[in-house]
Amino acid sequence: MKKIKICGVGSVLLGDDAVGPYTARWIAANYEFGESVEVEDLGTPGLDLIAYMTGMDVLILIDSVDNKQPAGTVTVYDKALITSHRPAVRLDPHSPAITESIFVAELAGDGPDEVYLIGVTGEQLDIGAPLSESVQNAIPLVVEEALARVIEHGGSYRKRDVPLDPDIWWENARMEVVA
Amino acid sequence: MAKRITIDPISRIEGHLRVDVEVENGSVSNSWASCTMWRGIETILKGRDPREAWLFTQRFCGVCTTVHAMASVRSVEDALKLEIPLNAQYIRNLILINHGLHDHIVHFYHLSALDFVDILKIPQADPAKTSALIEGLSPWTGNSKKMFLDAQNKVKAVAASGQLGIFTNGYWGHPAMKLSPEVNLLAFAHYIQALEYQRKSVQAVAILGSKSPHIQNLTVGGVANAINLDSLATLNMDRLFMIKKLMDEVKPFVDQVYLPDVCAIAGMYSDWFNYGAGVTNYLASPDLPLDGKNTKFDLVGGYIMDGNISSAHKFDGFRDKVFTDGVTEETKHAWYKGEEPLRPWKGETDPEYTDWSAEGKYSWVKAPRFQGKPMQVGPLAQILVGYALGDPLTRKHTDKALDLISTVAGHRIGVEKLQSTMGRHVARAIRASMLAELGEKHWTLLVNNIASGDVAIHNDPVFPSGEIEGVGVHEAPRGLLSHWTVIKNGKIDNYQAVVPSTWNASPRDAKGVRGPYEASLLHNPIADPTRPLEAIRTIHSFDPCMACACHTFDPQGNAVATVKVL
Repeated sequence: MKKIKICGVGSVLLGDDAVGPYTARWIAANYEFGESVEVEDLGTPGLDLIAYMTGMDVLILIDSVDNKQPAGTVTVYDKALITSHRPAVRLDPHSPAITESIFVAELAGDGPDEVYLIGVTGEQLDIGAPLSESVQNAIPLVVEEALARVIEHGGSYRKRDVPLDPDIWWENARMEVVA
Repeated sequence: MAKRITIDPISRIEGHLRVDVEVENGSVSNSWASCTMWRGIETILKGRDPREAWLFTQRFCGVCTTVHAMASVRSVEDALKLEIPLNAQYIRNLILINHGLHDHIVHFYHLSALDFVDILKIPQADPAKTSALIEGLSPWTGNSKKMFLDAQNKVKAVAASGQLGIFTNGYWGHPAMKLSPEVNLLAFAHYIQALEYQRKSVQAVAILGSKSPHIQNLTVGGVANAINLDSLATLNMDRLFMIKKLMDEVKPFVDQVYLPDVCAIAGMYSDWFNYGAGVTNYLASPDLPLDGKNTKFDLVGGYIMDGNISSAHKFDGFRDKVFTDGVTEETKHAWYKGEEPLRPWKGETDPEYTDWSAEGKYSWVKAPRFQGKPMQVGPLAQILVGYALGDPLTRKHTDKALDLISTVAGHRIGVEKLQSTMGRHVARAIRASMLAELGEKHWTLLVNNIASGDVAIHNDPVFPSGEIEGVGVHEAPRGLLSHWTVIKNGKIDNYQAVVPSTWNASPRDAKGVRGPYEASLLHNPIADPTRPLEAIRTIHSFDPCMACACHTFDPQGNAVATVKVL
């Protein structure tokens, strides 16, 4: 059975960049998966992404993208496209490193065979802002795309009878009452 | 006439660090370090519950998650003068040790080794010679001829495919690359092996922290790991032994592979002990506390001024008055309003962007100063302070490394030479070998304490009315991290994080004095201004991390796969 991982990536503190973590949490709260499927909110792991993709057959990333499409557009990129993005010389080695992480994991011989990046075009990256309405509205389509990839690669899922709390803690209100 | 080079190869969204150097007669004559992304993330914390601040700070950076969580709970506990149970202290220490090991291994092999290792020379190597070279020097079992042949074949396959992939933009064939094909192969084979060992340290953090990369087990007042040696759902003997097994696997990798590799490469590139000293004021905090009140530590902290590495001033604890009184931040050359140096508790984050100007403002990083001076932080600062204070653990590991480097170099490399680009790599490997040893110690302390019947993990915080101030200090993998918090009537009124890369990437201050990155670049050789490998070596030696920002993926091209428009 293929090992499949759905990873939400992005900064939860920067507006629409939170769409990956938000959607991963929403999926985990609303669906149960077979043993071969994992769902994780990975934040902004940089090259540490390698540690989380190793041993996986299929990696499904959910991330915000800057692709000049209208806000809320959902675009699915495959492995060939992601790896055609040539890594630059890095001064700061901890910046986003999806492409490099795939290359390094492959070099070690245990990278994923298939990678999908389900991208949502963001509208704003404002510190502390919740998801824009356009991005929020795109989430059902992102979920549908992610679940379709799970089925395509032999994974299984079912909708939970009683959804769990997705725990989107970063959208909690500030303290109103003085203790 | 000086030639200006801007190293900003990374697009707007992907990079946050820019370096400008002027090169004259093959050597750097002037330099600027800039952060190109605003980091005012602390403002998000104002008005929030201090008990949940660590959840937010853990998201400042996706790589240094754990360290910001730890500094945050420590800062609130400091404000409350709240002691934490011994078990909580040891569990936190084990998380910090394993996180540090992961970080140092990744930094050397995956983020900076290829500054010294020429991948494209590997196909010419004789794997049998590589194996013979290391035989007798290291008892590591992963140094067989077959293992080196496999590693060589991986490089040959990549080269033959015509797609260099991860190696696309290396400075291969650069005149500053000096290793023989066999040594290049040795380092690359260990680069592959290091992937497995750094993952083991991540697994240890995940077991202790319930999850990784974002640990879930901290509380203001301790940890949330219920301890019951006989229960499946808690921290029990099974889990403790899983952690021990992982640490027992990583320690030999550090002692027999990582440290010897760094020493060998340092010995072969011993000219790099002559470049990159930069700012020779050093600042380090004590860490790995041994009691709930934070009065005794396994890592010593303090400061050294003006390169006088035979004498250091020692800090007694996290909140040493000399430290808290000494720290200010200035913004004369940073894109913020205000010019006066401010203490972090009074810190302001009021952005005012103007263009990049060599004489004016050029960075989003503020200029932190200690007693008015720029300070270098990181493993080198920690090792030099520990060495000067005569700390036996620091001396043992440092002397061992210096002996090995001297043997390879064929001449004596003394501790003073560590004040350099190469010295920062060596100090990081020394620190890793110290952490690996301390991991065993703190695991035993935890198990013995639990065995004595103590299962306490948390003390409840009580927030007074009125205003209190706290500082949370942590000697993180990149150096001294401090979170400064002001709590008013139980909620956060001000929060400032002074992070290691702020100290090291600092712009000039009001007096025009350069920060550590800038100063360390001066007089670096640059053989080829179109391929400034030497400047990159020096910057990478600090383990820069400015990625406390966003993650948006830029496909740089048109989608050729499925495209759906909502």
